[in-house]
Amino acid sequence: MQIELGEKAVTSQRRLSDRESRVRLMKRKLYDRIARWVVAGGGFTIIASILAILLFILMEIAPLFRPAEVTEVNRSTVTALFTDTPEIGADIVALSIDENREVACLLSAGGVVQFISLKTWQLLESHLLPEIRGQKITSVWQSFKSDRFVLGTDHGLAVQLHIGYNARFFEGQRSYRPAINSGSTWPVAPSNERLTDVAFSGDPEESMIIAGISDKGRVHIFQQTKEASLFGEAEVDSAHYQLEQIWTGKPAAVAIDGTMRNLYMGSTDGKIYHWLLSPAAAPEFVTTTKAVSGDGGGITDLQFLLGGRTLIAADSNGGIGAWFLVRDSIGPAGWRLTKIRDLQTHVGSVVKLAPSARGKGFISADADGNLFLHHSTSGRFLAEFSTGAGIPVKALSFAPKANGALTLAADGKLTHWNVDNPHPEASVKSFFGKVWYEGYEEPEYVWQSTGGTDEFEPKLSLVPLLFGSLKGTLYALVIAVPLAIFGALFTSQFMHPGLRNKIKPTVEIMAALPSVVLGFLGGLWLAPRIEIIIPALLLMAVVLPLLTLLVSALWKALPGRYRSNVRPGVESLVLVPVLLFGIWLSLQLNGFMETMLFAGDFRVWLYEQAGMSFDQRNALVVGLVMGFAIIPLIYTISEDAFSNVPGNLVSGSLALGATRWQTALKVVVPTAAAGIFSAVMIGLGRAVGETMIVLMATGNTPIMDWNIFNGFRTLSANIAVEIPEAPLGGTLYRVLFLAAMLLFVITFVVNTAAELVRQRLRRQFQKL
Amino acid sequence: MKNFWKSGDPFVWLTGGAIALSLIMILGLLGLIVVNGLRQFWPPQIVELHLQNGETVLGEIWEREEILALDGQGSGHRIRLKIGNRDLYPLDFRWIDESEIVAKRYPENVLVLERLEWGNFYGRFNTLKQGNTILANSLGTGQEALADALAEMALLRTRIRELEKDEIGSINYDLEKLRLEARKLLLTSDTTSVAVQRSLTEKRKKMTVLQRQYLEKEKALSALYTKSREMVLTATSADGREKAIKIFDIVRLTTPNALDVVARSRVFLSRVAEFVSAEPRESNTEGGVFPAIFGTVILVLIMSVAVAPLGVLAAVYLHEYAKQGLVVSAIRIAVNNLAGVPSIVYGVFGLGFFVYAIGGTLDQLFYAEALPTPTLGTGGILWASLTLALLTVPVVIVATEEGLAAVPREIREGSLALAATQFETLWRVVIPSALPGILTGLILAIARAAGEVAPLMITGVVKLAPSMPFDGRFPFLHLERKFMHLGVHIYDVGFQSPNVEAAIPMVYSTTLLLILIVILLNVVAISVRNRLRKKLAYSVF
Repeated sequence: MQIELGEKAVTSQRRLSDRESRVRLMKRKLYDRIARWVVAGGGFTIIASILAILLFILMEIAPLFRPAEVTEVNRSTVTALFTDTPEIGADIVALSIDENREVACLLSAGGVVQFISLKTWQLLESHLLPEIRGQKITSVWQSFKSDRFVLGTDHGLAVQLHIGYNARFFEGQRSYRPAINSGSTWPVAPSNERLTDVAFSGDPEESMIIAGISDKGRVHIFQQTKEASLFGEAEVDSAHYQLEQIWTGKPAAVAIDGTMRNLYMGSTDGKIYHWLLSPAAAPEFVTTTKAVSGDGGGITDLQFLLGGRTLIAADSNGGIGAWFLVRDSIGPAGWRLTKIRDLQTHVGSVVKLAPSARGKGFISADADGNLFLHHSTSGRFLAEFSTGAGIPVKALSFAPKANGALTLAADGKLTHWNVDNPHPEASVKSFFGKVWYEGYEEPEYVWQSTGGTDEFEPKLSLVPLLFGSLKGTLYALVIAVPLAIFGALFTSQFMHPGLRNKIKPTVEIMAALPSVVLGFLGGLWLAPRIEIIIPALLLMAVVLPLLTLLVSALWKALPGRYRSNVRPGVESLVLVPVLLFGIWLSLQLNGFMETMLFAGDFRVWLYEQAGMSFDQRNALVVGLVMGFAIIPLIYTISEDAFSNVPGNLVSGSLALGATRWQTALKVVVPTAAAGIFSAVMIGLGRAVGETMIVLMATGNTPIMDWNIFNGFRTLSANIAVEIPEAPLGGTLYRVLFLAAMLLFVITFVVNTAAELVRQRLRRQFQKL
Repeated sequence: MKNFWKSGDPFVWLTGGAIALSLIMILGLLGLIVVNGLRQFWPPQIVELHLQNGETVLGEIWEREEILALDGQGSGHRIRLKIGNRDLYPLDFRWIDESEIVAKRYPENVLVLERLEWGNFYGRFNTLKQGNTILANSLGTGQEALADALAEMALLRTRIRELEKDEIGSINYDLEKLRLEARKLLLTSDTTSVAVQRSLTEKRKKMTVLQRQYLEKEKALSALYTKSREMVLTATSADGREKAIKIFDIVRLTTPNALDVVARSRVFLSRVAEFVSAEPRESNTEGGVFPAIFGTVILVLIMSVAVAPLGVLAAVYLHEYAKQGLVVSAIRIAVNNLAGVPSIVYGVFGLGFFVYAIGGTLDQLFYAEALPTPTLGTGGILWASLTLALLTVPVVIVATEEGLAAVPREIREGSLALAATQFETLWRVVIPSALPGILTGLILAIARAAGEVAPLMITGVVKLAPSMPFDGRFPFLHLERKFMHLGVHIYDVGFQSPNVEAAIPMVYSTTLLLILIVILLNVVAISVRNRLRKKLAYSVF
């Protein structure tokens, strides 16, 4: 046949002319070269692109840790804006921007409301507040979105002001019809007192509280309560209180929280005073705290962050602290105002704070014209910008979407800023450290990425998830490692090859079992059954080994002629019915055991005796099911390691009179130890990243608790649960990529370690 | 006794116990799935229970368990009965204490109606009517009429399905296509030009024609629906309530208690066939899983088309062309370990890279007329397949490299010595010899893809896909469509469905099917490898 082929080849060769054959050779060489390029180029690209996965994931994560960028969009001066009415320009007390950052509103002390275009700096509209006539605005409270104002006047009056920009979209063009709405006035202080700071909380149509500090050093409270009577008619009550002067120094700033129950006043000697408010009674003084470190500093501004729980206190030394009430059993009110964290300190005195309407961020401005962008939860100092060195910031407004700001410096310079701050809540500390969240008693690791309201504080600690991954993996390994390694040892050392060739593929095929199948069985079949048979499971742990030993003793007692007829390794098959009997027996005794040991109900007993709660889908179920999933993996690799131990070592040991068990334990296991290690590592790698089993067989609650009867949430399940709802490019989306990268890195490191160990082992075997 | 411990045999037996326990777990699991997966297809006995309080209940006994008697002394049993008739009773299942049962019978005239809606109906035949004329008023005399009616209505169901899905469906598809084309013209070209105007008018004309056709079909459809309401079977439930059921709604009618083993087997087979070939009903808890099977197959095919050349190319490069050294062995370890990276990580990557980055960009470029509804910028079968291709490419690379390494040096050298170039050697000699390795890798990749769930859930699988990724409408293969997948189906029906209890039998059957596919693929992979290895061994000089 081959000769024939050869002849053919020779004849065909002969027919070609020299020229033809040269062309043909060139063609073949060209093809070869092309193939080389294609294969090398293609192969390299494919491998590079696989490795580029990590790069892509890193690129998605990177923006999380980038600082915010604040850039100037454009600027103008009040003198340029108000050439005809310089007295208005010199008197601006408050600013506001619309959602789209196209129109701004300037409020002057004389009560003139000016709307200007931020693109062209042209005056759009001008309104005069009739309520202010003859007075001067001396203090301003503004809402998070800067659309609602309460203005304090030099006649002790508080005036309500509402700004509407009324943007409308018509044929691709946005136009504005700004309007103001005012009318309600409330006498907060006597008319001979000038209000130097006002605070407001509530709804002017319903219940509300206004607090004001007057130039006489007094603090006034105006309280309005509206209650629907039985007949559906609303009754409006109002009350006025003047706080008893218990403070030292002079009152500088007031703030009322979102619940309208707590009033805080900061004084010029650096203390915060706390009163409890109630609708029906006079304010009740609770406590006072020193809030400024060092001497001589005084509070300059108090502002609540979105949600009305975290109080930001700024002082004249440049310090900024975040405070909130923490439950306290000793304190008089059951709550204690506690300093949660310090934020980036200014060099000069802080003059203004502007909280964000999106999340827990704020801008602080100091007397030197520097502005800092902070985030309270993550404690991050995100950006720094300046309106001009040495010139204090006079007014400041944070855009409603927290993507811009408008500042007015004392020299009349008006600046419109762009704030690019996509992920203020992300920081290494907020992912991996303990963070003190609003409403918590102490710093904790918490994962709770989304909440019902805009005011929700996202809690993005990855620690509970890492813990969950670790917990699930650990319980799975506890179950899988002994079964798999002992099984592998038996199969490789004590089993007849004929039998081994049947058993091994059976176990190996189970490695291909889809994890969704195991997860389904774990969650819906096993979990409700495990719940009732825990006493039986405990019993099995004792009964099954005992039965095995019993059978081995009986086997030994069997006459030799029976024993020598069976192939080694049949022991395991003999044990199958015996173990089945043991399992059946344990299940039968379940009720008896439960009555004897656990007073009739294991779950009640567990709760009463150990104080542990019991979830139906718990770590035990996951341990069993995920253990089942990784048994084939560990089994195969360690079986290979055991089988590859050179036969001469085993034979030598046996020849020297060691029993088969001694040989296995003292010769085979130590030689193959590295292989076992690598098998366990690979099992660990698989268990850490397993998604469907933990998703289906645990309750997915991100708690940190080693209790085997509780659920947990792993990194992988968390990604599967949350990524479909995570908006593209948002913080949650990127944090989930971070979780994916953690998984990637963990499994990659673990697998590489296992692979290196295995390669070393292979070389070692070759030497033996 | 001392000898007993010293011999080490007890420890050997203990390790044997480990393998025995593993085997019990494996076989137990398989047995559990097989039994539960097939049980629901077997027509059960319908039991009629007369209770102490005078109630009569009809249903299938689902399970039986031990309970403590009410007085706390001794114990009794209770049974879980599937009573069906979801339109009459609030729940599908009911627990009945055995001590309450006065009499237990298996009446032969009990009907089980599997319906399009509301699940099973258990009851007795009353009358069969067409309009107002009574065709039969007992089961005995009405056998033939009933069979005819059922057959007729089954035909009608097929006809309606054809009309709805194929005919009206394709009109809608064409209409949508024309609408998008028109929008594209408006968006991209100069609308004042005469050619564009003419083309627009033409499209509008076509749309009007289609709309007219649509109305006609609609009329035909409503006529068919009127016809579907004609034949009605009234049946009486166990508690004596009469219920009129359209024959049209009855998928299968059996009198299980009257059937012998052969007839039962026939019902069993027909139900298995329905499971594999029909579409799901009642939010996936009844009917079949055909769309999921189909989706899985298409997914795996697209993935294979992507993964086979890429994996082989990369392996050939690594093994044949790249200069062996530290870098290549590092790459090899890296590729090897990528197989161990959790699948959810690939899913996240697929979502971020394929769906949002590439799909989003393509949408901007080519499907701008459909925006803001994303075409490729959302999960779909193409992205899911590519994600899985990425996930399985290490498997193919590793297996192919193994195959390449197994080709003896002599063969290569022989080829080179005969003046073949490297490429010719590779193409004519090495790759054919390495084919078993490549094939094994591919089959293992397919098996892995068929069972993978986590990455698919976020890159394009849905619980109920309105249309298949491959159908008779141009361009036949619709890569942007969402699809159904067996693995995700298990998760979704078992954990996300509103009536999990009623859905569990379906989940078991789907599980059985999936396991069969995966195990079969693995067994095939192993045997292909073994057979080709043997063949190769002989072909060596």
